[in-house]
Order: sequence, then structure tokens, then C-alpha cells
Amino acid sequence: MTLVSALIIPGIIIRTKSLCSGRKGPALFQPLFDAGVLLRKGVVLSPVTTLVFRIAPSVSLASVLTAVLLVPMGRQDALLSFSADFVYFTYILALGRFFMILAALDTGSSFEGMGANREALYSLLVEPVFLLLLGTYAMFTGYTSFSEIFSHFYFSNNYAFIAGILGFYLLIQIAMVENSRLPVDDPKTHLELTMVHEVMILDYSGPDLAIIHFSTWIKFALYGALVSNSLVPSGWPVALQTGLFLLLQLSFGIIIGLLESFRARNKMTKNPQFILTLTAIALLVFTIMLLSSYMSSK
Amino acid sequence: MEIILLVVFAFSLFYLSMAERFRTYTALIALQGLLLFGLACFRLREMNVANLVFLVTETLLFKAIAVPFLMYRILNRIQVNRVHPDALPGFYALLLTMAGLLLSIFITRRLDGQLIERTFMLIAMLALFTGVILIITHRRIFSHLVGFLVIENAVFLFSLAVGMDAPYLVNIGVLLDIVVSILILGLFMGRIGTRYSDMETDNLADLKH
Amino acid sequence: MEFLFIGFFILSSALILAVPAGRKHLISGIPLLVLLVISSWVAMPAVFSEESSRFLFRIPLTGMKTVVFSIDALSGFFILTVNFNALTTYLFAGTSLAGHLNHHRPIWISVHYLSFLLLHASMLLVCTQQSAFPFLLSWELMTLSSFLLVIFDHTSRTNLKTGINYLVQMHLSMFLLLMAFLVSGEKGSYGFDSLPAFFATHREFPLFLLFFAGFGIKAGMIPFHTWLPDAHPSAPSHVSGFMSGVMIKMGIYGIFRVISAVQHDFLTIGIFVLVISLATGIYGVLQAIVQHDLKKLLAYHSIENIGIIGTGIGLGSIGLATHNKDLALLGFAGGLLHVLNHSLFKSLLFFAAGNVCNATRTRIIDRMGGLAKKMPFTAFFFLLGSLSICGLPPFNGFISEYLLYLGMILNIHQAGFYGSIGLIMAILGLTLIGGLAVFCFTKAFGIAFLGTARSDACKLAVEPPPPSFTGLMLITAMIIAIGFAPVVFVKPLLSAVNATFIPVAPATLTPLLQNLGMISLSGGIFVLLVVGIFLLRRLFSAPRTKSVAPTWACGFHAPSARMQYTATSYADNVAGLSGALVSLNKEMKQISPGEIFPEPANFTSHPVEKLEEWLVNRPFTALRRLLRRIAFLQTGQIRHYILYPFLFLLLIFFLTLLNLL
Repeated sequence: MTLVSALIIPGIIIRTKSLCSGRKGPALFQPLFDAGVLLRKGVVLSPVTTLVFRIAPSVSLASVLTAVLLVPMGRQDALLSFSADFVYFTYILALGRFFMILAALDTGSSFEGMGANREALYSLLVEPVFLLLLGTYAMFTGYTSFSEIFSHFYFSNNYAFIAGILGFYLLIQIAMVENSRLPVDDPKTHLELTMVHEVMILDYSGPDLAIIHFSTWIKFALYGALVSNSLVPSGWPVALQTGLFLLLQLSFGIIIGLLESFRARNKMTKNPQFILTLTAIALLVFTIMLLSSYMSSK
Repeated sequence: MEIILLVVFAFSLFYLSMAERFRTYTALIALQGLLLFGLACFRLREMNVANLVFLVTETLLFKAIAVPFLMYRILNRIQVNRVHPDALPGFYALLLTMAGLLLSIFITRRLDGQLIERTFMLIAMLALFTGVILIITHRRIFSHLVGFLVIENAVFLFSLAVGMDAPYLVNIGVLLDIVVSILILGLFMGRIGTRYSDMETDNLADLKH
Repeated sequence: MEFLFIGFFILSSALILAVPAGRKHLISGIPLLVLLVISSWVAMPAVFSEESSRFLFRIPLTGMKTVVFSIDALSGFFILTVNFNALTTYLFAGTSLAGHLNHHRPIWISVHYLSFLLLHASMLLVCTQQSAFPFLLSWELMTLSSFLLVIFDHTSRTNLKTGINYLVQMHLSMFLLLMAFLVSGEKGSYGFDSLPAFFATHREFPLFLLFFAGFGIKAGMIPFHTWLPDAHPSAPSHVSGFMSGVMIKMGIYGIFRVISAVQHDFLTIGIFVLVISLATGIYGVLQAIVQHDLKKLLAYHSIENIGIIGTGIGLGSIGLATHNKDLALLGFAGGLLHVLNHSLFKSLLFFAAGNVCNATRTRIIDRMGGLAKKMPFTAFFFLLGSLSICGLPPFNGFISEYLLYLGMILNIHQAGFYGSIGLIMAILGLTLIGGLAVFCFTKAFGIAFLGTARSDACKLAVEPPPPSFTGLMLITAMIIAIGFAPVVFVKPLLSAVNATFIPVAPATLTPLLQNLGMISLSGGIFVLLVVGIFLLRRLFSAPRTKSVAPTWACGFHAPSARMQYTATSYADNVAGLSGALVSLNKEMKQISPGEIFPEPANFTSHPVEKLEEWLVNRPFTALRRLLRRIAFLQTGQIRHYILYPFLFLLLIFFLTLLNLL
């Protein structure tokens, strides 16, 4: 399910952004056609690179796919589920990122080193936000696995409601930071000194580049799935849940497109501050949940 | 419902601790004034009319409209628009504010009692810490003014937390503080500003002798 | 019977002195194997049996004293870890010392091997002694033998200085431990056995602090860690691997022993250990990020991992305090498993780094580069070690961190107000440590092994021959085994922890083990996916063109190796953000504004550790300044030195006369 929506989200994002800037924009499935073209192309490799460079896209895609297996859809259980699996989720995505950073350093180019450096910094600042948020949810619902947390996330009182809204906002922001979108990184800029994620894949071509694109889209859809999960109610029949899930994924794409169109990119040195703000908000969510659990009778 | 307003208030505090432009400060102070107006309306519905009118005037007129308007006037008159370049960077200020959040949690827990509304107390403490951090870590007097205004908002929130109607005297005291601070700022801009265009409070030490 | 073994051990060790330098390595294997086999054979039943039992061996010496060896599950576990590490270190030592055999006299090489054997034996002794004086004797033997190992390359003055610094600090730790034992026991019985009686009647925390200070110096907890980052680069790499792998864990062993005797003050102790460990972890990894020296970087990472182990201990203590069986079990088990894991991947990293440093004749990361092509095996081992130390699945580092996370997350729901805050802060701390470790190791591996060579020595680097990798392969096998089949290793560990620490009926281990089973499954799926996708990609690109083109350099036609990103620039980001704890001192000769024909300028930067600066360097500089004022009394002339005691005697005489004494 997540994979299906993965195929269409990037198209939606690009279309929304173009529409917002007054253009008609490419077709919805254009990114898929581009990937097909890439798969048919040959590979150009730099003599400086080693096996790490060749294997990194496969590792990245495999890590994202394994992470997909952990995320439930709607109220169904995920394919793989165990206690504290969101820790595994975070760390396996970190593994994919580790290899991509190494591949960027492998090319021996200064631009890629720059991008790798920044990517490592932003991901190190944003990981705590995700775990804080999910730790707070675990504290509130008493369950420790993705599937169970989302099935039991009720909006029981005002506090949980606002925490849910904030969590929703935070997940969207985390998705934007992790996938290197505005305001942390502009995917459309190709000035070498200002790219973060794009510059890491500068030297890839052909099927490797297609694999990298796949893993980026699936990662996006993954976070969209997390967001949609917190909004799909549990009592509905399966088909309806699936339909609502797809709808939410589509609207997630549209929201991201809208958010990107109306935001400018941060100054590079302000990025750590921006990401730290997310940690502050996550702490705030924790505080609210804490208060709601231990409220006095008032 | 109040919780939403309080959360937006906390957001504005976090944003305040890391913002750098004075116009942003002014906009955030105006936002805080509006939020306090909303909170006051929710909390003190059952009061008598006179007190309610007074409160509305105070929050809406003063905090949300008059003070930001005056601040905008001042900003338009002087050249300085940003925080001093040597002030503590936003990253560390935000870290300090987060530490302040943790401290507020502990203090609120210790002060727990039947008469105190916990969430209000927490956000009031956070506002107090943010205001103090603003004053301590910044060098220009405009930031000090903003920190002072945040502390005034914190006092207002404290009075809401305690749950009684704030007696007239407290409210008049708060109004007086605000008026005096605007006066001082204007003085600084007017008289002293023509000599020291930098708005650094360190320069005030030179005036000692 | 025992005498036979001891005699054989001593004889074969003495044989080392007799053989020529080339054969010393082989001969020293004999006593090592003897020790290994005996101690493992004794330790295995202690670890793998289900109930808590203690095996005692008595060896009567002359006179009335007997030497008692007591091995329970905890000691057994540490003994097995020490043995495995000793084996792999021995296997690697051949390569590491091969280049140095000609630079030193044969007697010094013999001393080196003998010290190695002595270090191994003394560590085993430390794990088995319960009584204070044999324990302290073994502790001292450990210190002396490791000192001899560290100053192997004694021709360099820096090495000597750091070695002596290490010796002094270890004696400080022994002094603290001696005081702690003396305070806690009565005449006739000092030692760990008398601790429970002492704790029953006195307050536990102050004595615990004393023990913690003593053991913490050995382990490398801040603020006692200042010897670690200096001693490890000076020592040869196999010694660094051995010391960092197991010797600093002896401090952890001591802390575990003391905690197992504590009865009611768990909460204070737990919170104290947790806070210090998290601070150690974050401080260690922040310092590691800015280092230029590869081995110093690895040494700081040891400090960070000790922090993670300490976090496990702290969490376990808090679990015992709140009667939370899950938290206690998982905290202690996670800490212990991390002891094993860290010994594995840290020694792997040090060995690989040793190969690199030997081949390129430099320890500075900024002078390396492109080594993955020249030394592929070493690069593979280093990559494996980096992945494990960052706690990335599917390797073993993740398993121990997962146990800690699991303990925290399972309990966050019922933890109470302050408990939730504490657990959330611990989660935040652990995640931050993990993220910073990823940052640091992408830098270390990426700059040293990938890209192009940044110096000439690097271009000529040659890998040691394949047979030298047996030790490293063993460690790799263990890492993969623990990573993919954690249940096999964690199950006996959990029951050992249960038996030793938790005085209640065994908790249900099955659900915990089920999670680990799922992790193995996920790990397997992941590997299958990687292989599958890689093959698919091969398939897709097979019929297409494959061409070679230089890396995109923005249209610039003459890119050089110096245009690559350096380690210092990579670390600049994080160093800027954490300026309060870490600083890079930069000294440079700048080009002045009016200079039209600039002269050669230079720039050096070196990292300054704030804690070392404030706790060690500045006080000692101040002390030296103070002492210099009194230095005028040292005139060097005998007659003055005779005058001083004469004056002292006169003083005593007059004070007695006036009845003031």
C-alpha cells in the first residue's frame, strides 16, 4: 500500500509546486517515466570510487524497504512488528544514510564532502526529535510497537488532541528535513555550494540513480504513511481504511507541495537552529502529555 | 480550548528565543497580546462587567495593539533592525529555553496544589525564563524591552493560573510598568540615541561619571 | 594438579626469554593458550548454568594462607570476554610487531610478551578475587604490566610522558580503592564479601562514590578519563586494542560488584551513574569528532562507549530501585552485552587502524585517503567496526543499544512523573550519542579510506599479508554472529543477570527474546534485499555501456587531492555548535593587510579538551608556579641541607621547652 502511494507522491508534489507558481507542470507520472529512462541508460563510474560507491544505492533502497515492512497501514498490523520497533526503524534508516554519506565521500569531490557533512549534521539533529515523539506516544498509549501505538491513539481529552496535532505537524517537518526539502534544502537548486542531498548523488548515473530516486520516494511515502496512520480511525472496514489511507497520502503530497511553494530556503547556518526548534516542540509535546497523564482534578 | 492558546503561546516563546529581527519580536509580542486576550476571556467569564471591561482594555488595547504600534514607530525611526552580532547565537538561546522548560516542569510539580491551574503555571514559568534569558543574553536595549514585556505577560499568566480575579492594584501596576518601559525606550531613542546610535547597553556604563 | 599447570605456565613464559626475536611470538602462544583453556573451561559452567552458583578453588600456599578463586556468572562472563580478546590480540600482535622487531633489543621484546601474558593473567585474577588484598595485588599487576606494554616505543619522549601519566593515575585509583576497602571491612576480612554487611548498617552512597572514583579512573568515566586519550595513541595498536577492549572493562566489573552488594540506595546510585554516563557518552563523542589523530579518535570513542555501558548500569539500578524487573534486567544485560560488543568492535577498529598507521607511517587522518583501494581488507574490517560501533543494524552494536532502548520504552508508561522525565532525557541522550557517532565514523572512515590519497606516504601503502588477518576474521565472525543470532548470546546473559542481581523469581524472558528473534529476521530480510537489489542492478546495467569518467569537479580541469574535503572541515560543523565543550586552538601566521609579496605562512590547529584543561592542566600549572616560589630552598649544597634538619631540631627543642608541643 505504501509502495503504491510511493509511486504517485513525487508526481503530485511537483505538480502542486508548478501549479502554485503558475505553470502547468509535468504529468503526474512523469517521475516514473524518468526513472524508466534512467534504468535503460548505462553507468558512468569515476576511477576514484570503490565498492562502497557501487553498493550504496542498493543498501539505501534495501534499508528503506525494510523500514516499510515495519510501518502499519491504517489499523492493520505491519508485516514485521515487535517491541520498540521504531528504534529499529530509525537505526535502519540511519544505516542507509551512513552508506550514502560514505559514497559521497568516496568520490573525492569537495562538493560531495560538503553535502555529506551537512546531511550528517541535520540527520543527527533530527533523529532525537523522532524518537522523542514516539517515546511520548509510547508513554501515552502504553504500547511500544508502531502497530499498537497507532491503533490505540485516541484523542481522549483536549491535551491528547493538541498533542496529536502537534505530533502531526512535527512528523511533517521531520519528513521535510529527512528528505532534504525546503526549508532545509532545496531539491531544485543545483548550485554545488548550496545543495545538501542532491550533491551527494551528483556522481550517480543510470540504474544507480534510478534506485536512489526510488528510495527517496519510498521514504517520503513512509513518512506520509506515519502521518496518515495517526488519522485513520480504527473501527472502519478494511476497504474503507485503505481508501482513506490513499486519500491521506495524496493530500500529504499536496500539503508538502504547498508548503514548499510558499517557503524560502533557510540560511545555511540557521539550519541547525531550525532543527533544534523541532526538538523544542517535541519537548513541548512531551510536557503536554506528561501533564495530561498527571493532571489534578481541575 | 485554552490549551491550544497556551501551546501557541509556548510556540511564540520558542520562536522569540531564536529570532533575530526586531520586527519579528514586535509581531510576536502582538501575537502574545492577542493570545492573552483570548485566555482572559475564557478564564474569567464569570466576573462582573467592570472587571471584564478593564481586562479587555488592558490586554487587547495595550498589549496587543498599543505597545506593538509604539514599537513599530520606534523601529521606523532608528536604523538598527537586528540583534547585536555578538549576542548569543539562536542555537544556544534555544537550548537555554529548553532547559528552562525542564526547570518549569519541576517547579510546577513542586508547587502543585488545588488552587493552581497546572498548565497555566507551566507556561507562565516558561515565559518568565524566556524573558530573563532574553535580557541576559542580548546586548541591545530593544531586546531588553522585549524581554521585559515577556515577563509582564508571564505575570499576567501567573495571575490567571492562581485563578482569582486579579485585584485592581495588580493590573494597574502592570500597566504602569508597561508605560514606564515605553517611556524609557523613547527616551533612549530620543536623547541618548542621537549620541549612541548603536543601542548597546554597555555604552550606558560610560554615562556613569 | 594446579601446581602442574602453574609450573608449566611459568616455564613456558621463561622460555620466551631464550628464543630469538622471530620465534618469540610463537613461543608466547603456549602459555597464553594454557591460561586461556583453563580459565574458559572453568568459567563456562558458571555463565551457562541457570542458577546462581559460585565456584571456589582453593590453592594452598606455604603457611596458613590459601588463595581462593571464586567465579560466579559475572566473573565468568568477564573472563570469557577477556580470553576472546586476548586470543585475537595475540593473533594480531604478530603483524603489529613485525615491523618493530629490528628496532628494539630482544630483551625488550621478551619483556613485551611477558607483560602481555602478565596482563592477561592479572585480569583473570582480578575477575576471580573477592578478598581485598589479592584483588588490589592483581590490580597493581595489571597496572604495571600495561604500563610496560604502553611504553613499548620508549624512544619517543611523548610516549614516556603519557606512560608515566597513566601509571600515576592508576596508582591514584588504587589508592582510592584501598581506602574504600579499608573503610568497608573490619580487621581480618576486607573485600567484596564484607560489603553487604557494611551496607546493611551504613549509608551506601558515600562508599559507592569512593569505589566509583577508583573504578571510574580505570574505566574512563569523566572527569577521570584524562589518561585514556593520551595512552592509547602512544601504545602500539594491538596493545591499544587489548587495553581498550578489556582492561578498562575491569573498572566496569568493579562497579558491577559493588552494585551487587548494595541493598537499598539504588535510586541515588542509579541516577548518579546515569547522569555521569550520559555526560561521559556525549562528551567523549564530541571530543572524538574534532580529533586529527586516528587513534586518539578511537580512544575518545572508548570513553563514549563506557558512557553507554554506564547508562545501562544506571538504568538497571533505577529498575531495582523501583522494583521494575524488566528495566533492571534489560539495563544490566544491555550494559554487559555492550561490554562484550565493545571489546569486539573496538579491538577490530584499533587493529585495522594499526595496520593503517603502520602502512602510512602517520596517525593523522588528514594525511590519509584512498586507502580502500590499497588495503581492501583493512578497509573492510574498519567499515565493519564503524557500522557496529554506531549501533547500526544488523550488527552487534545495535543489539546492546536495543536492549537499553527496550528497557526504557517498556517502562515509560508506568514510570511516574519524574521517572518519565528521566527516561525521556535518557532516550534523548542515547539518540544524540548514536547520531554523533555516525557523524564521527563517516568522517573517520570516509576521509581515511575513501577519496584520493592526500599524502605521498599514503600512495605507497601496502597491506600486510592475508594470514595476519586470522584474529580480525575471528572478531568479524563474532560480530556477525551476535548481530544475526542475538538470542543465542542474550539468553544466557539474561539468566546470568537474573541470578546475580535480581533477588526475586526469574522474570519471563520469552517475550524479550521474541523481540530479538524478530530483529534477526529483519536483519536477514535486509541482507537478502541488499543482495537482491544489487543483483537486479547488475542485471539492468549488464547490457548497457559502462564508461569511466573522472569525478565531476564543476568543470575544473585539474582537480587535485588537496581539493577534497578534509577531516577538519568535516568536523567544523559540529565543533562550531558545541564550542562550550570542545575547542580547536588555531595558531597561524597571518598575511598582514599591507603585505604585497607574502612570505610563507603556516597554520596549525589542535583540539583542546576543556575538562582536561580545567581539571588537570591549569591546576598543575598553578601548583608549579606556587612551588617555584619555594624552589629557592633547593640550593644544591650539602651544608644547607644539613642546616635544615638542624633548624628543625632546634624548633622542636624550643617548642617542647615552652610546652607547646
